[in-house]
Amino acid sequence: MLILGVDTSCDDTAASLLSAEDGNIEIVSNVVSSQTAVHSKYGGIVPELASRKHLEMIWPVVEEAMSGIGLDKLDAFSVCHGPGLIGSLLVGCSFAKAVCYSTGTPLVSVNHLEGHVLSAFLENPIPEFPFLSLIVSGGHTCLYRVEGFMKYTELGRTRDDAAGEAYDKVSKLLGLGYPGGMQIERLAKEGNPKAIKFPRAYLPGTLDFSFSGLKTAVKLALGSQGLSPAGGMATRDIAASFQSSVIDVLVRKAEWAIKKTRIKRLALSGGVASNSALRERMKEMAEDKEVELYAPRPALCTDNAAMIAFAGYRHFLANDIAGLDLNPKAHLPL
Amino acid sequence: MRLISKSPRETKDAGKRLGRKLRAGDTVCLYGDLGSGKTTFVKGVAGSLGIPEREIASASFTIISEHEAKPPLYHIDLYRIDSEADLETTGVYDYIGGDGIAVIEWAEKMPETEVAVRVAINIFPGDEREIVIEGMEEDP
Repeated sequence: MLILGVDTSCDDTAASLLSAEDGNIEIVSNVVSSQTAVHSKYGGIVPELASRKHLEMIWPVVEEAMSGIGLDKLDAFSVCHGPGLIGSLLVGCSFAKAVCYSTGTPLVSVNHLEGHVLSAFLENPIPEFPFLSLIVSGGHTCLYRVEGFMKYTELGRTRDDAAGEAYDKVSKLLGLGYPGGMQIERLAKEGNPKAIKFPRAYLPGTLDFSFSGLKTAVKLALGSQGLSPAGGMATRDIAASFQSSVIDVLVRKAEWAIKKTRIKRLALSGGVASNSALRERMKEMAEDKEVELYAPRPALCTDNAAMIAFAGYRHFLANDIAGLDLNPKAHLPL
Repeated sequence: MRLISKSPRETKDAGKRLGRKLRAGDTVCLYGDLGSGKTTFVKGVAGSLGIPEREIASASFTIISEHEAKPPLYHIDLYRIDSEADLETTGVYDYIGGDGIAVIEWAEKMPETEVAVRVAINIFPGDEREIVIEGMEEDP
């Protein structure tokens, strides 16, 4: 069967066509507006956050994802209905509802976080349940126990900033560009991770996260040393020291979760999971603790619609079909 | 009103005290640099409305985060907003002066809202914060 996934939860418009049979899937196409030539076709600078941008992008992105196949050939349409920016989500949901209404295609709705959990298995076989899932992105940092498809228990989440948000904010403090993750990762490779002892909020006794204090510590360190935000040795060291704090916390919390639940399977996903230093450290921990680690390749870590199509396929198999009265939700716990 | 906070807990307490005086339709504009404790202050306001503190995290990603309470709390964060067009399409204006309390972080990114409580948090040396609250009647 053919299933189309659409995600407009944040800044990117994404669509992906999946071919699925007997639980096995194949990605036919995976289009994300920020990564393709679609953007340049329309030229000009459009506000990143505007739902108007999604309105302009949704047709060309879906058309490219459909690869010449008619929308009436779809067996299911899977759309992300939250969490995210409400105006952006509305575009994807309204588009999906209109297509399903006019073609009679079954509509399936998917939580963005569920997509991230399953993204680790777009190109890997699904492991035995239960497994642990750590999602680390610009908008989320959360840890789940996954008992089965659509059976998720939250073990912990950030109490303030998401890990990726800390990267973006620190990147801005250091005068680097956006997205912050890539800029800091690049600089950190040249810096000394032990140069500055930034705090690590382990929050003992819980599996929650906190990255707000780290961001503040970086700001204060910049202030006291009176650094100019223009390059130089110190900026590299700050980037490396900051990154080492984030990674220490993520790895240790994953380790605690493994110890507490005695589950020896861990999936790592979300935009920050594309960070090679984090992947390396998590891999070392997994080898040391004899844990099976699953992480999607970097292109499938960041927001994409293949994960939405995949999660939608599981909902479809479970006969969990959405009504045409589907409404997006900005706040939508998994 | 001006006070000095020596810890996140004291910042939260200040938020809690302000929260108790707020009514549906009120807007609180928060001003302060990165790391000054704006979200911590919002946690306090939420606490006064009976919203679990853990529910309040940074709203930078979704811009608007709704929390059910009586009255509801609309936690708004304009950190990522760069233009007037962005501001309008996010729907922020729909939340101001409505059925709930709107608390806006990075309020300097929008035009001055009339009849708003203004809270400025300044970072002082030695990890202290100065919190200045304007537009709210003083305790008798």
